[in-house]
Amino acid sequence: MKRQTAAGVGAVCTFILLVSFAASARAQNSDATLSGLIAGATGAPVPNAKVAVKNLATGQSSAAQTDSTGHYAVPNLEAGSYEVAVSAEGYSTNTVNVTIASGANQTANVTLAGVLSLQDLGISPEQAQGTTADQARLNKRSHMLMLHQRLGLIAAVPLIATVATSFGAGGRSTSTSDRYLHLALGSATGDLYFMSAYFAIRAPRIPGTQSRGQIRVHKALAWIHGPGMVLTPILGAIAFDQKSKGEKVHGIASAHGAVAIVTAAAYGAAIVSVSFKF
Amino acid sequence: MSTKFILTLLLLVFPRVAPADTQWILEESTLTYHVSHPLKQTEGVSHAAKGKGVCHDGQCDFLIAVPVKSFDSGDSNRDLHMLQVVRGGQFPLITVRTHLPETASGLSTIPADLEVQFAGQTVQYKQIAFQRAMQGGDTMITGTIPLTLSDFKIDPPTLLALPVKNEIPVRVEMKWRAM
Repeated sequence: MKRQTAAGVGAVCTFILLVSFAASARAQNSDATLSGLIAGATGAPVPNAKVAVKNLATGQSSAAQTDSTGHYAVPNLEAGSYEVAVSAEGYSTNTVNVTIASGANQTANVTLAGVLSLQDLGISPEQAQGTTADQARLNKRSHMLMLHQRLGLIAAVPLIATVATSFGAGGRSTSTSDRYLHLALGSATGDLYFMSAYFAIRAPRIPGTQSRGQIRVHKALAWIHGPGMVLTPILGAIAFDQKSKGEKVHGIASAHGAVAIVTAAAYGAAIVSVSFKF
Repeated sequence: MSTKFILTLLLLVFPRVAPADTQWILEESTLTYHVSHPLKQTEGVSHAAKGKGVCHDGQCDFLIAVPVKSFDSGDSNRDLHMLQVVRGGQFPLITVRTHLPETASGLSTIPADLEVQFAGQTVQYKQIAFQRAMQGGDTMITGTIPLTLSDFKIDPPTLLALPVKNEIPVRVEMKWRAM
């Protein structure tokens, strides 16, 4: 009984000693403090800077914030190597490594470089910031030009058919049905053409931009096929009337075929000019 | 020689050998984007980038900005369409920021972490390698930034119903001068 009591007391003493030792060791390793001053490049203190202290061995992190004088302090740190990352609004983040000894009051002063701004590059806030209105104008322009392109390509189909049926409608042919088919296809071409042209003409212009490259050829060709698309049906109508009266096409109407060919060729070239890179 | 004398000497010498603030100015640049489409390849070039770097305490911050509309592909219609697709009306600038140790200016290959702002999005590109070469008193930096359309939430434009490739690498050639 006596022996058992002595053994129990011994165990309790050992436990108390171990706990005391552990507590003492813990107290020894966690009593270091890291402090310092965070300043800008000019030396002015940076208040409200965030200081993150990370133990590189354990990965454990502590954080602090600088006071109005730019000072910070992170207490209760264990001895070891630390990464100190300092960040503040208007400054670039700076990271330094420090080694802290057990129980030490370590100092780590960190200087933050100011983040460069667009103003530093001579770019004003107005130049740096666009507007939704500018973007809406670009969107509208792209949308209208897409419609111009699609209608223009669709118009090429009846245009080719109109040219193909012209052989039966003109010359010595007296077929009325061929003339009406040619007239109908020509009318469809004209309608689609002017709808397509409307979207190109009405697409918003973007200030400060100048035409460059193949689009200039495309636009220049419009000065040929545009008037041609107006003139061709007028001459065609006169020729149609003359043919209907049993007359041979004469006068200004005899230029209908030539004008139509030049117009169709210019129109085809305009499509090609924006379809392939020369 | 007394310790006091040595300390005084060190205090006098130290400010002279300590690294002073350095500024870098972008003197010239050529930025080239490359767009691939099954039917054609297109490149757009800009020489309008502005850039600056500031070094302090061995750390350098660089900022480069280029207007989106300054890229010229040789066709104004295509350029305006590009401007619309990348939301250049609302976000007219592309900016690139990087933070480097000052010692990087001595490396022949500089690995840089880039923060790219474009089309209203901010994307980080890690460890992008740039080649450095000296030309007279200037530092020539070349490299390619592997931008993709999806990174910036840009819908790929189409030609004849076929979309362009997602990758739009930007070749960078810059001439920097330390001040």
